[in-house]
Amino acid sequence: MADSNKKKRGKWTRRAFIGVGALAGVGLVVGVGGNIFLTRNARKYSGKGFGEGDSINAWVHISPDNLISLAMPRAEMGQGVSTSLPMLIAEELEVPMSNIRLVTPQPEPAYANTFLLTQEPRNIYSSLSFMEKIAHFLPLVATGGSTSIPDAYDLLRSMGASAREMLIRAAAAKWGVSAGDCYAENAQVINKKSGEKVNYGAIANEAAQIKLDELPALKSKKDWKLLGKPIQRLDIPEKIDGSAEFGLDVRLDGMLYGAMRHATYHDGAITAIPNQAEIEARQGVKKVVMLPDGRGAVVVADNTWRAKNAALALKLEETGNNTLSSEELDAQAEDVIANKIIAAPKDEGNATKVLDESEGILEVTYDVPYLAHACMEPINCTVLVKGDKAEIWAGHQGSSLMADGVVAVTGLDYENVTVHEKYLGGGFGRRAEIDMILNAAHVAKEMEGTPIQLVYTREEDIRHEMYRPAVKSKFRAKLNNGGIEAWEHKVALQSVGFSSINRIKPQFAEPPEKDLSTPEGAAELPYRMENMKFALGQIEAPIQVGNWRSVGSSQNGFFTESFIDECAHASNMDPYEFRRNLIDDPRFKNVLDKVAEISNWKQNPGENRFRGIALCKSFGSIVGQVAELTRISEKEFSIDKYYCVIDCGRVVNPDTVEAQMQSGIIFGLSAALYGEITFKDGEVEQYNFPQYEMVRMNVAPTVVVHIMDVDEYPGGVGEPATPPAAPALTNAIFAATGDRVRSLPLKNHGYTFV
Amino acid sequence: MELNINGKIHTVDVEEGMPLLWVLRDELNMTGTKYGCGVASCGSCTVMLDGIATRTCTLPASVAEGKAITTIEGVSPDGELSDVQLAWIEHQVPQCGYCQSGMIVAAEALLNEIPNPTDEDINQRITNICRCGTYNRIRAAIHTAAKRRGDKTNLAD
Repeated sequence: MADSNKKKRGKWTRRAFIGVGALAGVGLVVGVGGNIFLTRNARKYSGKGFGEGDSINAWVHISPDNLISLAMPRAEMGQGVSTSLPMLIAEELEVPMSNIRLVTPQPEPAYANTFLLTQEPRNIYSSLSFMEKIAHFLPLVATGGSTSIPDAYDLLRSMGASAREMLIRAAAAKWGVSAGDCYAENAQVINKKSGEKVNYGAIANEAAQIKLDELPALKSKKDWKLLGKPIQRLDIPEKIDGSAEFGLDVRLDGMLYGAMRHATYHDGAITAIPNQAEIEARQGVKKVVMLPDGRGAVVVADNTWRAKNAALALKLEETGNNTLSSEELDAQAEDVIANKIIAAPKDEGNATKVLDESEGILEVTYDVPYLAHACMEPINCTVLVKGDKAEIWAGHQGSSLMADGVVAVTGLDYENVTVHEKYLGGGFGRRAEIDMILNAAHVAKEMEGTPIQLVYTREEDIRHEMYRPAVKSKFRAKLNNGGIEAWEHKVALQSVGFSSINRIKPQFAEPPEKDLSTPEGAAELPYRMENMKFALGQIEAPIQVGNWRSVGSSQNGFFTESFIDECAHASNMDPYEFRRNLIDDPRFKNVLDKVAEISNWKQNPGENRFRGIALCKSFGSIVGQVAELTRISEKEFSIDKYYCVIDCGRVVNPDTVEAQMQSGIIFGLSAALYGEITFKDGEVEQYNFPQYEMVRMNVAPTVVVHIMDVDEYPGGVGEPATPPAAPALTNAIFAATGDRVRSLPLKNHGYTFV
Repeated sequence: MELNINGKIHTVDVEEGMPLLWVLRDELNMTGTKYGCGVASCGSCTVMLDGIATRTCTLPASVAEGKAITTIEGVSPDGELSDVQLAWIEHQVPQCGYCQSGMIVAAEALLNEIPNPTDEDINQRITNICRCGTYNRIRAAIHTAAKRRGDKTNLAD
């Protein structure tokens, strides 16, 4: 397949592309091609950040002194996007990675992430779809849902290609030859006949005047120099000497530090602070600022330590539910599944009827707890409000959300808010929330003229989160000679989509029954089933829930891949063979076969060694994993190895894919082994790493990664390794012990890991 | 108080109990050393005190007086990357990067004490949290750095 768009959308309509010429005098304005880019909103950008006096366009800027600048509007949170997006442009632009400078643009329409709204690749050869127009109008400049590559894959290659073509034509004109006599390489245009060369910078002005009337063909895969190769990350040099600047590292003249103290109860409010005067008299403390609706208070001081100690010493009078408990929530979940199912996103055949009328069915219940994101960098945000302008500094998954938040609090114009996107010390969905922005902006507004760096201590961070919801899951299945005659899966949870979108973009909030994240990894399974139903109900609780790496699939992967293992066992079949027999889709089958192959699944793993297998699709990519354990004593295990196979379609940077597979597995394992947020007397019981433990070096398995060579449109890689991690492990524990672990974390079942 | 940080004396006027982490970050604006947990659990705030890996978020700065403090900024003071840093590049270790200052300092301290650590040594001594899960690459990079250092020592012999 030469190009995914060609296949997916039939005719290659190059005529749809009309290049855009110069916007201003100097420098190269790269063609914004295809009707999509002619849409007014898609072309809106100020060029801030590329450098003064330069004429620029949305993604590529080349100055006369040959400085090649590429826009990088996505958030770098470890997933490698600040290398993979530039690779897409550089491949077509014919510039070496060592030659480029990255510029973080303001969150303007040209940089919208349309895939986040549409869940569809952009069609760069047609006009914008309705949802794409909305993404530009907002604009929604954000990073999440493993969408950066699926969103940018065609767009950025065409940006690079059109720039290259304009440069070639400019050089050809300069030499009086035809463009066909020239080619581009290594940031130069070369005259095939004379051997003459010219740097891009020297013809940037001329190139900017060129108008293209058709889209230059994208390079075929066999000609790629960068894509598909393990390219060194551009951010690593800064990340090994302490110079990388995260949000919490921002230091500004006159800046003060604010320590957050949330209202204790999740639906509660602070009504009074009896010792406010005493706190404000402490050394270094400048002010105590009450947040709107009493949702929290911020102690502002000249040093983070003074601020956080003072915040801890605040005496609060409060309202709120001080009886909420995990037991109560669990009882509610039982009731919801039994009596309050509100939707069935998938109902094929007659699963419920078949099961109601059958004897000898499998019927089991699974549970997973609330989970915190626990980003390594505690949540923070820095804001300065001054007159009719404001600036905001943070590592955040939505640079447009940063600006939106400041606008919402201050009433300033969007254009008057300057966004400084910093490195994120982890995101995982937590940094797509806007609470830290609203809170910091409020304090900055109260203390106009002073930059305020708001920080949540680790304790405030863990206890006042937007958690992955606790989910109860009930299965029923009827098996039939190695097949599944009927499968029914009901879940009870708080809707992530409803809760999070109401906070972030309420105009898009849909009721819980329409939340698309709830069925992820549960409604669409690769296994053949005659009757299949997935249904859901909503838990009502004063707890905020949010997007947690791999979202719905984070729980559904554990549920479905554990239960399919139970079905295999009940059918007296090998778990790999059982799955394989029920799969029709060759991409799933190939991944499953490959992970069985590299893990030597068919060979005995040896004495006291056990394996478990899992297969999940999420965010457009299929991941198969085999966990390999050594049993040390009855409930003590060493997690020796994970074999991980991914089909993510076309690969941009295989080294990043490998890193994300390792990362996603460790993330899933921390949750599987230790992770739980529980409620007692209205409060979260865990508050720091000693209570909310993480996998560390001594427990981390060796992860062996294989990337399938599949010539299809790329899927995401940041999240898909997480869902299979827990079931691969618990399936291995079942193989070892016969104990089917149906709730997480494993520490609650007495299992330990070394 | 006077603190010897990366070979340079800094004078600061703070409470006795203020942890070294916050003196570094907020008083001296040396932000390479990170705040992660505040309870000496995650290791993001690791520096070397007289060569020993030490968590600074609970360590009163006054305790560090008179000791040689080496932060991430002091790992390559002359701008030439250390063997550990070079190995970190070779293995493309960092992802989000937030914990990596502490990891690199902990690795430097480990190799100073145990020039050729086993996997078990690494398990025992590298107890920092990396939420991105870069442990495989950290382990590989430590072995590479040990070899690089060993090769140099052999040459010197």
